[in-house]
Amino acid sequence: MVLISGSMLFATLLMGYSLFRSSSSTWPPEGIQAISMGYPMISTATILLSSWFCSRIRGNVAVNDFRSAKMNLNTTLILGVLFMFIQTLLWNEMKTSGLFIGSGIFSSVVYGFTWIHAAHVISGLLVLGWLRFVLRPATQNLGQKVLNVEKFWHFLGVIWLILFISLFVI
Amino acid sequence: MIFYAITPILIGSFGNYCIPLMIGARDMAFPLLNMLSFWFAFASGVVLLASLCLPLGAAAGAWTSYPTLSTLIGSPGLGQTFWCVAIFLLGISSTMGAVNYVTTVITLRAPGMGYFDMPLTVWGLWLTAILNAIFVPVLGAGVMLLILDRVFGTTFFLAGASATAGSGDPVLFQHVFWIFGHPEVYILILPAWGIVSDLLSFFARKPAFGAKATALAMTSISILSTLVYGHHMFTTQMSPLLTQAFMTMTMTISIPSAIFFANWLGTIWKGSIRFDSPMLFSLGVVFVFGLGGLTGLHLGTTTTDLYLHDTYFVVGHFHYTMAASVLLGGYAGIYFWFPKMFGRMMNETLAKIHFWGTTIALNGIFFGMLMIGYGGMHRRTYNPFVYESLTKLIPINTMVTWSAIIMGAFQIVFVYNFLKSLMSGEKAPQNPWNVGTLEWTISSPPPHHNYTEIPVVRCGPHEFGNPNLKTGRDFQYQTEELVEG
Repeated sequence: MVLISGSMLFATLLMGYSLFRSSSSTWPPEGIQAISMGYPMISTATILLSSWFCSRIRGNVAVNDFRSAKMNLNTTLILGVLFMFIQTLLWNEMKTSGLFIGSGIFSSVVYGFTWIHAAHVISGLLVLGWLRFVLRPATQNLGQKVLNVEKFWHFLGVIWLILFISLFVI
Repeated sequence: MIFYAITPILIGSFGNYCIPLMIGARDMAFPLLNMLSFWFAFASGVVLLASLCLPLGAAAGAWTSYPTLSTLIGSPGLGQTFWCVAIFLLGISSTMGAVNYVTTVITLRAPGMGYFDMPLTVWGLWLTAILNAIFVPVLGAGVMLLILDRVFGTTFFLAGASATAGSGDPVLFQHVFWIFGHPEVYILILPAWGIVSDLLSFFARKPAFGAKATALAMTSISILSTLVYGHHMFTTQMSPLLTQAFMTMTMTISIPSAIFFANWLGTIWKGSIRFDSPMLFSLGVVFVFGLGGLTGLHLGTTTTDLYLHDTYFVVGHFHYTMAASVLLGGYAGIYFWFPKMFGRMMNETLAKIHFWGTTIALNGIFFGMLMIGYGGMHRRTYNPFVYESLTKLIPINTMVTWSAIIMGAFQIVFVYNFLKSLMSGEKAPQNPWNVGTLEWTISSPPPHHNYTEIPVVRCGPHEFGNPNLKTGRDFQYQTEELVEG
């Protein structure tokens, strides 16, 4: 249910974006250079890798292997933080090439959407941190909690993938 | 009023109170989320009220907050930003609440209660929650982008912001807003429809006519409501083909509305009507919603809307359908469930005075508005009488104002009744209205955990007038097997 709501948020943003692009003859608009793909690609790899590690946690918990579960969760967390760090590098690179938040619609879209995604990633990191805390045999309904967190984390990865393709690739 | 009156009272209060009781549950599915939802709404109210103290004043963009008026160009200062933040917080609150309601209705129904055994009140609240969960984030996105425009200098809604760097589009906000806005108005009315559908049956001592059809009609309206948002934007110079498409969809929505309205009438027809206050208010809703709904047709046709858009006709229309229906429906609900909530009865005489005063004055206000809108008086102008032709409407305008003052005065009767009954009302029996839904099988007020033993449901919520009943009652509790001949 939560994922549907979140999807609607990003769906709206993407709708607006598609309207802007379709009404503009060139994209990026005149005078703006396209953002180099380096950081976005590393970001994509990082977040997808973190999703892979996240998917291993559930199996670990099912067989009560808490040591491996904690390791996989730690890796997911580290990769998540790394993703945020790479985002800041991306934003810095945009600033040095002259693209500021107020520089028109193109940068509005890129900064705006990646900020909103980043805000959700930060909340995802907090949720992963909470899961790290409750990852014990005594926790009730642990399997369901792990599954829910994992779904949210994958959701963030999917949204990033869509943003990656629509903002940076095409 | 939409965000801070209807949402907290109809959806927040009635939802949280009625859903668990009527489906036989001990609590909502996510109590913690529920609490967070309340406190976010509270915080939202604090932010908005704080905006009144800002140096450049509070928001001035109306509830629709259209750019360019709502951008820094039209509304400098922090007022509109505070409004955006408040709405964003409220949106989070509504979404959390909605997730809670939907999950509760799906997972916590008592054994034996299929979807069509649920009282229609629960149907209304459930459909509202589904629409809420899907469409409030759309408003959240729009408002978030407006915040980014105002605080960080993005140019989503500023046209021609930079000649070489591409431009934003103010009309985009209108699209985003109304994709939320149209389902929102149905969100606001669905709980009241549900409550009235149930109460008409209870007080006519007859099964709800076509109850299943009513539930399905409400569902199809919820689905269709997502497709009609363009009828708020007929004057934005969109292509005629698009306006025709939206017009057609809007007309289509009137069909299921007519179906459940006919079901309301079928419920009352040849019923043994008890004119207690909840019933009077429900009958009031039937009248005002019928009138308001019909005026929607005038606004749904593009050609007439071009004249009526942004006039008081619109104001009259939506107040009849949203404010009048919700207000009267809300009062019906309060008078009906007050005994259950507080264990005391409200005073019937004061209730009847309250009803007649409110209803007559309310019609004075909003029918008056329909008239002046038809005559061409525009909304949201400081002084419409700078236009010579509108000065003829001043007497009607005066009547509207007087009606409003009178209506306000009658609410004092309600407040007095409410407080007095709380303190010294007559003690309520377990089932003062003789109705069979689950909340009346337990004491008034219910114990903290609602149901000591989860009930098992064996029949529907509107089993009245069964000729095979020999117990002296004319209704069956939902926990009883339906008595066959």
